[in-house]
Amino acid sequence: MTAVVLGLAVGTWLLAIGLFGSVLATVLLGYEYATGDQSFLRVSKAAASAAAGSLVIALLYLTSQFLSEDYMNAYVWDNTANYLPTLYKVTGVYASNAGSVLLWAMLTAVVVTTTLLLDRYSARGARLSQSLGMGVVTVFAWMLVNESPFTPLSTRYPSVAANGIPQDGSGLNPLLVDPFMAIHPPITFSAYALMVVPFTVGVTHFVARLQGTQSVFDDWLGSMTRWLRGSWLLLTAAITLGGIWAYRVLGWGGFWSWDPVETSVLIPWLGLTAVLHTLNQYRRSGRYAVLAPAATAALLPLVIYATTVVRSGVFRSVHSFAGGGIGSGVLFLLGTTSTLAVGPAFVHWFRTEQSDTEAAGLLDRATIYHAAVLGFILLAFVSLWGLTFPVVRSLASGVEVSVDARYYNLWSFPVVVGMLLAGGMYAQQERFSTRVTVGTAAAVLVAALAVGVALARPEWQLASTEPFDPAYYRAIGSLSVVTVLPPAVYFAGAWVVRYVGRLRRLTGRRAKLNETGIALIHVGAALLIVSVSFVYVFSTTASVGIVGATELDDTGERIVRDVEGSPYTVEVTNYSPENTPTITAAAMTPAEAGAVDTASSVILVKGEVTAVQRFEETTIAQLNGSRVWVGADSGTVQFEEGSVIVARGSLSDPRSENIDALVYTNGDNVGPVSAPPTNAYTPRVVEHQYDVQLYRGDTLVADGTVAEQSYRGRDMQTNDPLIKRGITGDTYVVGTRTAGGLSIEISRYPLANQIWFGVAVMLVGMGLVFLFDPASGAAGGRRD
Amino acid sequence: MNARKTLTVVFFLVVLGVGHYSMNAAPVVRDDTHTYQGGLEWETEPSTAFDAAQSQDKPVLVYYWATWCTYCERYDKNHYRNETVRAALDEYVLLAVNIDDPGNGTGLVRQHQATYPPQHRIMTPEGETVESVEGYIERDELLATLEKGSEEAT
Repeated sequence: MTAVVLGLAVGTWLLAIGLFGSVLATVLLGYEYATGDQSFLRVSKAAASAAAGSLVIALLYLTSQFLSEDYMNAYVWDNTANYLPTLYKVTGVYASNAGSVLLWAMLTAVVVTTTLLLDRYSARGARLSQSLGMGVVTVFAWMLVNESPFTPLSTRYPSVAANGIPQDGSGLNPLLVDPFMAIHPPITFSAYALMVVPFTVGVTHFVARLQGTQSVFDDWLGSMTRWLRGSWLLLTAAITLGGIWAYRVLGWGGFWSWDPVETSVLIPWLGLTAVLHTLNQYRRSGRYAVLAPAATAALLPLVIYATTVVRSGVFRSVHSFAGGGIGSGVLFLLGTTSTLAVGPAFVHWFRTEQSDTEAAGLLDRATIYHAAVLGFILLAFVSLWGLTFPVVRSLASGVEVSVDARYYNLWSFPVVVGMLLAGGMYAQQERFSTRVTVGTAAAVLVAALAVGVALARPEWQLASTEPFDPAYYRAIGSLSVVTVLPPAVYFAGAWVVRYVGRLRRLTGRRAKLNETGIALIHVGAALLIVSVSFVYVFSTTASVGIVGATELDDTGERIVRDVEGSPYTVEVTNYSPENTPTITAAAMTPAEAGAVDTASSVILVKGEVTAVQRFEETTIAQLNGSRVWVGADSGTVQFEEGSVIVARGSLSDPRSENIDALVYTNGDNVGPVSAPPTNAYTPRVVEHQYDVQLYRGDTLVADGTVAEQSYRGRDMQTNDPLIKRGITGDTYVVGTRTAGGLSIEISRYPLANQIWFGVAVMLVGMGLVFLFDPASGAAGGRRD
Repeated sequence: MNARKTLTVVFFLVVLGVGHYSMNAAPVVRDDTHTYQGGLEWETEPSTAFDAAQSQDKPVLVYYWATWCTYCERYDKNHYRNETVRAALDEYVLLAVNIDDPGNGTGLVRQHQATYPPQHRIMTPEGETVESVEGYIERDELLATLEKGSEEAT
C-alpha cells in the first residue's frame, strides 16, 4: 500500500532523505576541501551513506510496489498491468523518466559513496571530487523529489482515483516487453554511473592545476582506467543488446537506423573510446596532459546530452519511449557539468606555457596515434552534429531539414577509412621502419581507391545519389563499399603481426592475456566495420501484398504469390489471432469479484454455476458456492448448474443476506468458458500470426510464423519477424497487416551474423584487458 | 609548431567545414509553404491547395502523415519515389497534413477522422471526398486508387 505521511508518500520521504543527505555531503566535503579541516569527515561519510542507502531502499520499495501491483501509486499504475509476468513487472520500474532517473541516481550515489568510504582516496583533492559527485546525486535527488515516482494516483490522476483503487494498471509500453529490454537499461545506467567519478576527478585535476596544488588525477589514473574500461564493456554490451532488440523484436528490419536514440548513445561510446586511447598514452608517455583529463571529464556531459536526446522530446525519434519532457533538471545538469568539464580545462590550457615541447614529425608514431584519437572525436562530432543541426537550423530560419542515414554514413565513412589506415600504421611501425610503413599504407590507400572506383557498380555504391545532390555526397556516395576492405584487412593484419611479435617478447601470463585482449579488440573492430558496411549496402528488400490472408485457417488452403523484384515465392497457409490475456485469464474469480468495493463498476467474472434461482423478472446464478452471483433478465440467459461460465456485467450490492455482489449481465456478455462471448472483452494484446513458407525457386528457404501485435488503446504495432540465419547472411521476413490484408516484406542481410561476432570478439578482448592489464587498478598510477 | 599541433589545427578546420557544409546540404523537409515527403513538393495550406486545384481543374490528394510513422517512410521510399506513381500524381494537387501539427488542416483531420497515419483521401476541387485509403497499401493498389480517384473527381 502506498502509505502517505504528512502529505507525502513514504517513497517520496525516502527521496527527500536522499536529497538531504546528498546536499549535506556535498557541502561538508566542499568545506573540507576548501579549509583542509577534517573534523566533519565522519558526518559527511554518514550523510553520503544515508543518501545512497535511502536511494537503494527507494528503488527496492518501488520495485516491490510493481510486484505487488500497488495501483495507488500513479507511476506503478502508468507502467504495468496484471497480465505481465514478474520479469516485466520489474522492467516497468525504469520504463519511464522518474524510475530511470532513480536507477541512475542510486547507482551514482553508490559509486561516489564507495570512493568516500574506501579510505584509499583521502588526499585533499579527493574531497572536491567526492563533493562534485555528491553534487550530481543532489541534482538527481532534487529532480526525483519534484517528480516523484511515488506520487499517489489521487494526486496525479484524481479522476481515475475517484473510482477507487484500479483493478488493473494501464500497461507497459509494448516495445519494452522483451528480455533484451529488461537488462538493457540497468546495463546502460551502470555504464553511465561509472563515468561520474572520472568526471569529478577530471574537473578536480584542473582546479588543482589552477590553484597550483597537487592533483589526484595521477594517483587515481589506474583505478579510473579500469572503471572506464568497465564502463566501455557495459556500454558496448548495452548498444549491442539494443541493436539485437531492434533487429529481432521490433521487426523494423534493422539493428541500426541512425535513430536519435541510437546515435546519441554512440556519442559517449566514441568519446569513451577516444578517452581510453588518450589515457593509455598519458599513462605511458605523459602526452595528452591536457586532453586526457579534459576528455575524461567531458564524458559525463556527453552522456547527459545523450539522455536529453532520448528523453526530452526535443529531438525527433521513432522510439521516444518515455514521453513528456524530463524537465529543467537534466538541462541544468547538462549546463553545469559541461561548464565544469570544459571551463577549468580551458582556463588552464590558456594560462599555461606550452608544456608539450616534444618535437614530433608528421609520420612519427605519436602523430599517427594522435590522428586516430582525433578520428574518434571527429566521428563523435558527426553524430553529435547530426542530432543538433536540424534543431539549430529550425530555430535560426524556421526551415525544417531532415538528417538521413546518408548524412551519418557518408561523413563517417572516410573518417573510418582514415582511422583504419592510421591504426594500421601505428601497429606496423612497432616492428617496421617508417619508410616501409608509409609505403604499405600508401599502397593500401591506392588499392582502396582503385577498387572503390573500379567496383562502383550501382548496387555496390555507398549511396544512391541524384545529380542535384551536393558534390560531397555524390563523390563519396559513388564509391564502392569495397573501398573499406583493403584498409580493414591492413588494420587487422598489422595488429595481428604486432601481437605475434609482442607475444614472443613478453613474459608473464597476465601481460600476454592483456596483449591478446588488445589484439582481439582491434581485429573485432575491423570485422565489425566491414560487416556493418556490407550489410548496409548489400541488403535488399522486396514486398508483396497478400489479399485475403486473414481468411485462411488450417484447412489446407493456401495463398501463393511471387515476390516481384526478387527470386522468392511466398506461401501463406494459416492465420490465427491470439489474445493476451485470454478472456478466461482476465476474468476474476468470485472471491476477487467479492473483494471489489466499488458499486456499479463493470467487471468480468468466471466460475462454476452452483445454484440457480428464478424470479419473475430476473434469473440469478451462484458462482462456486460463493456469495457472488450472476444475474440477467429472465429468459435472456440460460444458466445451468454445473456449467463453467464467463460473464461481464455491472457490479452491484443487492443488500441481500446471502449475496454480497451481483454481476448483472445480458445474453451478449455471458457464455461457457469453452466458447466465451466474443464482444465482452478487448484483450490487451492481439497477436496476428501467419504461417509462412518462403521459397527460392523450388528450395524452401524459410518456414515459420510471422506475427504482428496490436495493443489496446495504443496506436502502435510490433512485429516478430521470421529470421533464417546463415553464415552468408540472414533472410528476414516481416508480415504487416494492411488495409487490404497482409503485406509480406522479405529482406536479405548479408554478413548479419558477422556483426554480432565482431562485437563478441571486441567484448572478449576488452574483458581480458579489464582483468589482466598489469598497469590498471588501484596500483596503476602514472609512471613518470 | 610540431606535427601534432598542426594536425589538431587541421582537425578543427575540418570540423568547422563538415559542420557548415553538412548543415547547408541537408534536404529540406518543410519550409514556410511546403513539405517534401518522398521528395515531392506537397502543399501544407488547404486553401492554397484547393485554389490550385480549382484553377488547374485537378483533384486533391490529401496525405495524413507523422514524423514518427514508419509506414509513411515506406510510402516515401517505395511509392513516392517510383516513376509510375509520380506520373499518376501529376494529375493531382498534393496536400500533406502532419497529424501532430495540422495547422489549418485541423478541419480536414476532423472531417476525415484521420486519427492515425498514414491515410490518404482524394477530394474534388470543390472539397468532396471521393476515395479513402486508411493505412498502408501496396504500390499497385495505390496506383489503382489514384486512377479511379482521378476519374471520379473530374
